[in-house]
Amino acid sequence: MSAEPRFDELIHAPTRLSIVSLLTATEWAEFKFLRDQVGLTDSALSKQLATLEEAGYVDIRKSFIGKRPRTSVRLSPRGQQAFAGHIAALQQIVARSGLAVIPESAQP
Amino acid sequence: MPEGEVMEIPPIDAELALAEVRARRAEVVDANLVPGWFWPSIGVLMLLFVAAVETGRPWLVAAGSVAYALGLATLIAALLRRSRVQVRNTLIGAHGAAAIVVFTLVLVGLGVGLGLALAALGVPAPATIACLPVAAGLAFGGPALMTYLRRVMLARPLAGPR
Repeated sequence: MSAEPRFDELIHAPTRLSIVSLLTATEWAEFKFLRDQVGLTDSALSKQLATLEEAGYVDIRKSFIGKRPRTSVRLSPRGQQAFAGHIAALQQIVARSGLAVIPESAQP
Repeated sequence: MPEGEVMEIPPIDAELALAEVRARRAEVVDANLVPGWFWPSIGVLMLLFVAAVETGRPWLVAAGSVAYALGLATLIAALLRRSRVQVRNTLIGAHGAAAIVVFTLVLVGLGVGLGLALAALGVPAPATIACLPVAAGLAFGGPALMTYLRRVMLARPLAGPR
């Protein structure tokens, strides 16, 4: 079932789009993984995650592995829904323009 | 913005955003794939363990078992240490899961079937000999399985089935 197209300005901001794109492919992701992949400082990533958490798009879990603290992040069902709508909106914009010539399934 | 309305941004920006989503998914998938060194390592470990057990010498069986347990624990610990993300299960999907099951069943069937056949023929060290193609299957088939799974996961729709 495809999602209703709904452009989401919160997700579309470049840094948050990168974060949510990583999260949408994961069951959970470590804070450090997100930080390293997106290339943010701890505080900058915390700020972005706080924004997403306020919108109800991510769940943040803090735990300990031995004595080491570990922060894990996952996309909430609401975040998944918003992301699916955002992707549908982007695809609709591209389809209307006839810009995309490569079908999604054929892209690497 | 009213529900269902699509904000208009330049199509090129939308295409670039979709490309970003695809690239980030590829990063997650690549971070999750079992690394190439794991497969031959597990094959060699298994071969040594079976050979040690088949000798029937208690000290060799004991040494082989300890070495196998330690080796396996080390490999798994190394895998877990590099695991900082868990790929979404729905990305693997039915095709990916089927490929994993078939890969496992083929190797187990090959090993057990060949071992029993060799034993029935009275060939010495049947289990060790039967383990050779299984180890080779792991060493060569494991990376091939990872390549297939990568292709499957990257081909899933971007918004993905939930």
